[in-house]
Parts: sequence; structure tokens; C-alpha cells
Amino acid sequence: MISAVKSRLGGGLAVAPLLLFMGVAFGLPAVAIATGAFTTSADAPGGVHWTLSNLTTSVHGAYLTALWGSVKLSALSALLATLLGVPLAQAVTTSSSRALRDAVMSASGVLANFGGVPLAFAFVATLGNAGVLTTHLGLAAKGWSLYSFWGLVVVYLYFLLPLMVLTIAPALEGLRAGWREAARNNGATAWQYWRHVALPVLAPSLLGGYVLLFGSAFAAYATAAAMVGSSVPLLTSQIADALSGNVLVGQGNVALALSIDMVVVAGAVMAVYVPLQRRSARWLA
Amino acid sequence: MTVEFRALHKSFGATKALDGLDLTAHQGELLALLGPSGCGKTTALRMLAGFEKPDSGQVLVDGEDISDVPAHRRDAGMVFQAYSLFPHLTAADNVAFGLRMRKVGAAERRSRAAELLELVGLPQHADRYPHQMSGGQQQRVALARALALRPKVLLLDEPLSALDAKVRVQLREEIRRLQQELAITTVFVTHDQEEALSTADRVAVMRDGRLEQCAGPAELYDTPSTPFVAEFVGTMNRLPGRASGDGSVEVLGQRLPVRGDAGTAGAVDVLVRPEAVDATADEDGSARVTATAFHGAVTRLTVALADGTTVKADIPSHRASGLAAGASATVTLPERPVLVEARAA
Amino acid sequence: MARLTNRRGIRWWRGAVAAVAGLYFLVPLACSVLFTVDVPGQGFTLSAYTGILGASGFTGSLLLTLELAAATIVLVLGLLVPALLAARLGAPRLRPLLEVVCSLPLVVPSVALVAGYSGVLRWGPQYLSRTPLFQTFVAVQNADFPVVLVLAYTVMSLPLAYRALDAGMRAVDVRTLMEAARSCGASPVRAVFQAVLPNLRGALMNAGFLTLALVLGEYTVGALLGFRPFAVWIVGIGGSQAQLSVAVSVLSLLLTWALLLVFAAAGRPRTRIPRRALAKAAPALVPQESAS
Repeated sequence: MISAVKSRLGGGLAVAPLLLFMGVAFGLPAVAIATGAFTTSADAPGGVHWTLSNLTTSVHGAYLTALWGSVKLSALSALLATLLGVPLAQAVTTSSSRALRDAVMSASGVLANFGGVPLAFAFVATLGNAGVLTTHLGLAAKGWSLYSFWGLVVVYLYFLLPLMVLTIAPALEGLRAGWREAARNNGATAWQYWRHVALPVLAPSLLGGYVLLFGSAFAAYATAAAMVGSSVPLLTSQIADALSGNVLVGQGNVALALSIDMVVVAGAVMAVYVPLQRRSARWLA
Repeated sequence: MTVEFRALHKSFGATKALDGLDLTAHQGELLALLGPSGCGKTTALRMLAGFEKPDSGQVLVDGEDISDVPAHRRDAGMVFQAYSLFPHLTAADNVAFGLRMRKVGAAERRSRAAELLELVGLPQHADRYPHQMSGGQQQRVALARALALRPKVLLLDEPLSALDAKVRVQLREEIRRLQQELAITTVFVTHDQEEALSTADRVAVMRDGRLEQCAGPAELYDTPSTPFVAEFVGTMNRLPGRASGDGSVEVLGQRLPVRGDAGTAGAVDVLVRPEAVDATADEDGSARVTATAFHGAVTRLTVALADGTTVKADIPSHRASGLAAGASATVTLPERPVLVEARAA
Repeated sequence: MARLTNRRGIRWWRGAVAAVAGLYFLVPLACSVLFTVDVPGQGFTLSAYTGILGASGFTGSLLLTLELAAATIVLVLGLLVPALLAARLGAPRLRPLLEVVCSLPLVVPSVALVAGYSGVLRWGPQYLSRTPLFQTFVAVQNADFPVVLVLAYTVMSLPLAYRALDAGMRAVDVRTLMEAARSCGASPVRAVFQAVLPNLRGALMNAGFLTLALVLGEYTVGALLGFRPFAVWIVGIGGSQAQLSVAVSVLSLLLTWALLLVFAAAGRPRTRIPRRALAKAAPALVPQESAS
């Protein structure tokens, strides 16, 4: 009994600093977002009071355009990364060369984290207005601009593709040879095997991977900020702008309302992703 | 339905998996393929299922060569080692999978699946997913799935190897009962000799891609035709002896007839089972008991002979009292023909 | 085994996919290098690289970032390791709580997090200017070593570090190690330090690397709170010295790669984490760029 109490006490003591830290470093900002989003800012005409107008503003006009732009960019680049990442992951996982496999996986680990500033500059050097490919291939004359929606898609793929490979490779490896053979043994053709076994088994991982990629693209800020400034309207750049004071007087708290929008989307992503991941882990473990 | 392997050869790179296998499984019998890992037993089974193609030789079903029939059109239901159930389908849907591939209607699929699950003793598990069932239950469902298309041959690829000992025994009895009930020709691959001897009508012992001996369990045990079979099936003692070349061998001071290859002469190993070795307490005996293990009706003695050879002897437990560890003893063999093998130089 | 023709088909297909992917991933890197050494009007020159050390603010911002990274790693491991060990050893009921707490930051993208931080920082002057707490608010925003960034980076690293450590602990069976050490006469503290932690080397290294990589590349929080860590500095010089900023970007990628190798090598000799555990840990690398 005593030792049980002691160990429980010890467990509590060991966990307490983490909880305390999260309460301060995560809880306080969360409270600030939640309260700020629903109050007028300090410099507003009528003083500080509760309001829904920040939230209303955050889904109208230029902000709505930015929200829509973020959703479009994330949905499209995540879709492309999924469609291209699966064959790539399949090629890697079915490779007989262990060295190639390990090399690609660790390269993916680095490249998936290569988002942000260095990535932006690498693409500026490659496909920007004075970029090596742009000048050597005369892309500008053909209407190419890196600082556009499609330019961002090309750049985002650079970290989304490796991310997809990292996410889906374990699932592809989890597909058992026994399933293919059992399907064949039960009279399934190769096509029927993919249609009725492999794809349904992979579906949670694919969908989960897609949602995760969407979330990553949606939350990304640095890449776009360093590359295109705000020439492509994105929700993250709107928040950054609003934080830097580029808003009308009295609308300082709109940034917080926009943050609530982001949290809602990110929360929805996790709410879809986590159960899918659980199911896939159960099937493919 | 008769299945015949004829002069099958198959290599994977430098390793020879099958090196001229000839073997026949008769209508309605359960034939076990037994051997150490790498002996080619699984390759032979997978050829029958259509997952491997022989380099040369033929696989005949009822006299017809099926080498060119693709895997999904062969009339052979297969049960795999483990975890081969489709994880996204319920037990009933797993069983009905083959019917769905053949575009059988939903109502008929359901009733057939229910019937098969009943057959393997899991009627109430139709709606469970594989991860909700134990390993033994999963293999029962896999068995039902293999039987769903009413195959002419049932193939079992070590279906019990991943299960607990108790479940293993239960399920192998169940497989045997079903197989006899359906009178379906069955090929059963295993590396477990007890499993093979207790379930099969005939056991084919394989080694290095060839057949060593194919016989009923009792014959295989009592009169193994080669030293390899003798040692692989059951426990076997090797006693040093001297063969005279005229069909007799001298061992433990006795002269016994040689079974099989009588021409061997010189130093040989004489192969005898523990239950054929008798040990009696004898103060002047040159052998010494080093360990005893009680097995119920019999007690297994480990005895060191004067020259250091270790012999295992099973004697009735009621006679073992004077033979504790450390006791002196005399070891004798019954007057029966014995198997010998020339001693490796 | 597939037949020969079949196999050749598979190889061809795989080769094509690998070639296209290789092109897409290598061309920007190659072009970046070319861009920095082949300057229009000057021809081949290494001045972009030689100029890095002399560029104003380079050393300051890099040192600041490295200090922040070190502090963040210490804080992350210091918070997580005891909590996770306790959850494994004595209080399994804490595990779901820990998982939820450590996953919470995934729901708040870094831009939103920084909005929250700036909201909190505004409370200081607004409500607390007459209390001693105000001094704390000033101190955490000291530009020489902004503690507030360490706090934010720690929050952002928690999900990654948590998964890396959790996967590592799952792979080595901490409980048995602990019991074995205790039964050999080790005190609980000794058992943790001499039996458990050495076996978690790989996981600790992995968590440390993930945290380090995150801090090295972090731009959003630093920029929006008005500090000048490394990534912010790169963007700052990008406007005036394009070659230089690309050169620094190339170097920082190489640096990340080198660090990954160092950490992998340091984590390897004593513990070989099974492949399956690694595969599970790999998605832990995942939401990293949301920090970017």
C-alpha cells in the first residue's frame, strides 16, 4: 500500500513540471487567443467589451479570400503530393536494395523538415525571376512566375512529397504478401486484389496522410512569407500582417479571431487524422 | 482428386529448393510434407497453388498438367501460416471473398459463409474483424475461406506454427476431422514431426529438395528407410558398432542383423530408438546413469557408456527405482534387425 | 518470385519513378549552388561563401539560435523524460493524459501560437505595469536571450520529441530494464541513469535532433515577435544580397544533414532500435514544417 502511494506520488511529481509548463507556455496564449478573439481591442472606440465582430470580420472580405486561398493551396498541393508520393514510396519500399531504401528514407526525413526559409531561397535561386532555370530556359517569356499560386504548389511539394513518403511507407510495408496470395488463391485477378484488398487496407493511411499533408501546408507560413510576401493571399500571412499592426484601428484582435479559424481547421485535421491512424495501425501492425 | 509431382526442379539463385521431387497424393488422403526448413516442402506446396513455377518437371492433377493454369484459376484452397485474413473484412466477408470475386449474389454469399463458419465451429463470430479474434479463431476462419470455393485440393502451409501448443493440438484434430468428413485431398506442410505423425495418412519426409521416404506414420517410425528419416522422426540413439559386411553388426557386445544396406563394413553408427534400449541396474556394469527424467509410464534414462557415448533409454517407471543418477548399469538391445550408417571419417 | 520478364518490367518502372523524383529534388539544390557561384557579370566566384562570415549579424544570429536550441533541448528533455518514465514505470494511467497534453500543440499552428504569445505579452504593459510580475515580462523579452522564444520552441517541439521518446521507450521495455537493475541492487536513481537512460540513447538523440532542426529553421515566431534568430536574419539579407542568402540556405541544409548523421551515429552503437519502431517514429518527423 505504502509503496503504491509512494509511486503514485513519485509519478505525480515527475509529471507536474510538464503540466505546469504547458499551463503557462501553452495555456496562457490559448486563453489570450480565446478571450482576445471575442473582445474588442484596447484601442477600439467603445473600450473593451465582448463581441463576435472579430470572428465575423475574420470570415469576410479579404480575410475570406485568404482563407479560401489557403484551403485551395493546401488541398491541391496535398492531393498532388499524395498522388505522386504513393508510387514513389512503393518504388522505394519494393526495392531490393536496402541501402537505397535507407538513403531515401533519411533524405525524406531531412527534406520533410526543409520547409521554411532555406527552401524558399533554394527555389528563388532556381525558378525565381533571376533563377538559374528561369534564365537558362527562358521561362519568364513563357509566362512562368514562381511568385504565384502554382509557384507555391511546386515549392510546397518539395516538403510535402517526402512527408507523404515517410507517412505511407510503413503502411505499404505492412501490406502482407500473404494477402495478395490469399486473394489470388480465392480467385482474384491482380486488379481485383488491388481493388478489393490493397486499396481498402491502405485507405485509412492514404486518407490520413492526405489530411496530415493538408494540415502541414495550411499551417506553413515561413516559406510563403520569405518567397512571395503577400502576393498570394494566405491566411497565415493575414495573421502575420494583422499582428504587425497592418490593420484598421480597433481591429487588432482580428489576428486572434483568424487564429481561432486556424485552430478550428487544424483541430478538424487532427480529429480526422487520429482515428484513421489508429485504424491503420491496427490493420497493418 | 489425385495430385502428382513429377521430377520437379526449382532453384532460387544459387539455392536449389527442389531437386527432382517425385510424389503423389491420393484421392481423399491427408499427405504431410515434413522436413527441416529449407528442404523444399513449402516450395512444392506453392507450386501446387500456382505461386511458383517449376524450372522443370510437372504438377499433375488427375493426370492433367496444370503448370500453365494461373493461381487464381486453380481449384486449390490454401491456408497460410498466419495473419493472412484480410484485416478490413469481417470473418463472414473473409470467407465469402472468393464468392464475391466470382460475382456470386449477396444472399448466397451470406448463407454459404454462415454454413462454413458453422463447419469450423465459429457460427457466432461472423461479424468479428480479424483483430478481434484469437490466433486460433483466425486460422479457423482462414480454413473456412479456403474451403469456400469447394476446392478439389486443400493446401495447408504450416497453419499451426504461430499458435499456442494447446490450441495447436485442438486445431489439428479439427482439421483432421473436417478433412475426413469432406474426403478432400489435402497436402499439409509442417516441420513438426509430431504434428505430421498424428494427423496424416501418409508422411513424406523431404531433405534438400528430394523425397527421402513416404509412408504411413507407423511404418515411418518403426522402419525408417534412411538414417536421415530415422533421426528426423522421433528420438534416435547413435551407438558405435562394427559391421562385418555380411549383414551383421557388432554393438554393445551383441551381434545383430543389419536392416537395409547389408554391404556396409567397418566402423558404423547403429541407430536405435530409446524404447528399444534396455538398461538394468548392475553393480559390475560399465555404464553409468547420468540423469533421469520421469515421463509418467516410462522414465527416460541418460546413460554414459564406458567409451563416453551417451545413450537415451526409456524403461518402465516401475523398474527405474534402482537406476538413480550415479548408479552403475548394463545396457542391452533386443534381438532385432537394426539400421546402420557408415561412420563419417 | 516473379518471372524474369515481369521483374524487368518492375525494375524499369521503379527506375523511372526514382529518376523523376531524383530530378525534382536535386535540381533546386544544384541550381542553388550554381546560383551562388556563377554570378552574372562576375563569372565563377566563391565570394558569396567567403562573405558569409563577414556579413553583419551572421555570427550574432547564429550564436543566438544555437543558444536557443541548446536551452530548448535541455528544457524539452528535462520535462519529458521524467514524465514519460514515470508514466511507464509507476503510473500507467498518466499515459493518455501525457499523450493528449503533448499533442495539443499540433492543433495550434505556429502562426496562431505566436498570436497568442503577443496577446499575453500585451497584458504586461496593459494590466501589470505596476506589479513585480512586469519585470518578468521584460526579462523574458530580453533581445540578448529571449526566454519567450525558448518557451514557444519548447511547446512546438513537444509533439515531435514526445513521439520519438515514446517510440524509443516502447522498443526497449523500460520496465523490465528497471526491474532487472533494481534486482541487481541498484538504487532507483542509479537504475535510471545506468540502465534505462543508456538504452534510450537512440531515442534521446532522435528527440534532440528533431528539436534542434526545428529551432534552426524556425522563422515564424522569431520574426513576428520581433527577434532576430538565424532564419530571420537570412530573410533580412535576402532583399539586398540574394547570393549570400542562398549560400547560407545551402549551408544550413548541409548543416542539418550533417547534424542528422552525427546524431544518428551517436545514437547507434549501444541501441539498435528495431526497424518497426523506427518506422513508427518516422511519422514523428512529420508536422515539423508547420513550425516553419
